[in-house]
Amino acid sequence: MSTFFVILIGQILVNNYVMCQFFGICPFLGVSKKVDTALGMGLAVTFVITIASFFTWLVQNFLLVPLHLEYLHTIAFILVIAVLVQVVENALKKLSYSLYQALGVYLPLITTNCVVLAVAINNITDGYNLLESTFSGCCSALGFTLALLLLAGIRERMELSNMPKWMQGFPGALIMAGLMAISFMGFGGLI
Amino acid sequence: MQRHLTITPSPHVRDRASTKNIMQEVCLALAPAGIASIILFGASALKLICFSVLTCVLTEYLYQLIAGHKSTVGDWSAVVTGLMLAYNLPATAPWWIPVVGGVIAILLVKQLFGGIGSNFMNPALTARAVLFISWGGLVASYPNTLYCGGVDTISSATPLALMAADPSQVSFVDLLLGNVPGILGETCKIALLLGGIYLIIRGIIDWRIPATFIGSVFVLFLLTSGFNFELALKEVFAGGLMLGAFFMATDYATCPLSRLGRVIMGIGCGVFTFMIRAYANYPEGTSFAILFMNVLTPLIDRYTMPKFFGEVKKNA
Amino acid sequence: MPKKDTFLGAFLNGLIFENPTFTLMLGMCPTLGITTAAMNGVGMGLATTVVLVFSNLFISLLRNIIPDKVRIPSYIVIIASFVTMIDLLMSAFVPSLRAALGTYIQLIVVNCIIFARAESFAAKNPPVQAIGDGLGMGLGFTWAITLLSCIRELIGSGSIFGLRLMPEAYQPMAIMNQVPGGFITLGILLILVNVIKAAIARHSRARKEELA
Repeated sequence: MSTFFVILIGQILVNNYVMCQFFGICPFLGVSKKVDTALGMGLAVTFVITIASFFTWLVQNFLLVPLHLEYLHTIAFILVIAVLVQVVENALKKLSYSLYQALGVYLPLITTNCVVLAVAINNITDGYNLLESTFSGCCSALGFTLALLLLAGIRERMELSNMPKWMQGFPGALIMAGLMAISFMGFGGLI
Repeated sequence: MQRHLTITPSPHVRDRASTKNIMQEVCLALAPAGIASIILFGASALKLICFSVLTCVLTEYLYQLIAGHKSTVGDWSAVVTGLMLAYNLPATAPWWIPVVGGVIAILLVKQLFGGIGSNFMNPALTARAVLFISWGGLVASYPNTLYCGGVDTISSATPLALMAADPSQVSFVDLLLGNVPGILGETCKIALLLGGIYLIIRGIIDWRIPATFIGSVFVLFLLTSGFNFELALKEVFAGGLMLGAFFMATDYATCPLSRLGRVIMGIGCGVFTFMIRAYANYPEGTSFAILFMNVLTPLIDRYTMPKFFGEVKKNA
Repeated sequence: MPKKDTFLGAFLNGLIFENPTFTLMLGMCPTLGITTAAMNGVGMGLATTVVLVFSNLFISLLRNIIPDKVRIPSYIVIIASFVTMIDLLMSAFVPSLRAALGTYIQLIVVNCIIFARAESFAAKNPPVQAIGDGLGMGLGFTWAITLLSCIRELIGSGSIFGLRLMPEAYQPMAIMNQVPGGFITLGILLILVNVIKAAIARHSRARKEELA
């Protein structure tokens, strides 16, 4: 049980992929203007990363390792992720159209969200088993969602303030993200 | 602390005069802790406070001069930020530490986002965190007081660190009077309580935040130490908890607006302070806990704001 | 603004006018993640440039063969192959640089600069221009992240390319080497770029009015 608690706190607060490691910055800056869209993107990413960590672990241990093709894992993983995103998109369309309408627009963007690939690669490097990999994927994605929601909340609030013109848009978002990252540094060594 | 958005029951008063009044009250409430720090740590404390306040006021003045904005130096908010920043530094810090910190607090955290009331993180605490991460050796040292070894000697352990080993090593009277190693403003708890209670009586800060903040730290240490009252009580009186709970977490611009939101903020600060004190790399977690809850504040506001009369729920 | 349908035009466009870092805001993760030392900036930039040139070339050559429906997986396979080659080559010849850049080398696959150029330029233009675009974008990215890493290394370690430039008394500001420093430095650089752009626009407008 304690392994899972360590993974939970670690991936969400201490080693948050966005705030402590610089992964997934493009969607973090791009889809954080509104809290609602940030939540949609976060849920879609959580969904895909959890499934992707499950399948990439299987691919690594039942396909690449037996065939001694570990050096091809970048290609293999990104293919798995791209196919998975496509499958999830089609499945959602058929199974739950309302969910598809809510998450659909974000799905194509997830293939190039580097958190997905980074989680898959790090799960292998960290030597997690199948269950731990899936759980760690889910927690990492929740950490990404948390960072996205926090930035979106701040950006929505800043709409109401009189920020100088040259701060609006990306420069402001970057400086907000930097200040947010300072607050995450207090968690260092928590686990 | 930028007290621009004065959140009061109606009638709402939001003019310059009231901002200035509130800031002056806060300065007054901060004064006892400042005087105590000068008594405890001597002239170096006075020097740091002067450098910090002057840098903050000057940075605000110069920025607004260059950017062509109307000057807000007269509202005393930069003075409050300067005092807060100085209170978070050890007496041994060199003069340029408060200068760098003051520029960061006023320019990066406050003015770039539109000035007073627009910042989403406490400027003084953010600047202190930047200094702490950058120059840990200079900022994270805890000198002894003049009456207990002298300022030139750096204590090997703060009261918090000593207590982790054995709570009876720290005397309660020393904790109250401030005769313990620490940063300028945090040691003398009597002065801080005096200022904090004054602000609550004057209706300037909401009692909910300090009460829930300090209360949750007390309860968590009580529960995890097997009901060791001495330890839990001393945890409350050690470190920067009082300074943070009364003066930093209650900043109007960076704490939630609703009552429920403020209770959440207080408990959140308490939980994270406990987590960082008990388990993380840093001996003291108050400032990082407050910063994290500052970042969370817009979301707390979003989900706890009372529904306005006549508001219709949008296509549920 | 130069025309993009010549080699030189496409090259200059990526290098300056549509700079991936300062204008298009693409490839932010490596831009922030590895720019703590100037050497890392150069290494990451050049590695990305090589991948970008080759992927642009191949996608441009195959642009009439790849069916539209499977284009995204096809692009990804092409890009990932080159990334794997670069990864193995760097591990063999510059292992220390490869170690400093970490996972970010493998993550060139999902660097949106490469993907965006494949989709919006290489798939629609002949090979020569595609190479020009790849080189321009790649070198534009390289100089931008090298500039960023020089600033961060100077303030965060007191040196550039490992050469101590600050006086002895200077105490490096360690936060510049960490996550907050990256975000804030890029934010401030972007403010400067915005201010300069606004000044140029004002100047050219004034000149136009003068002529009229």
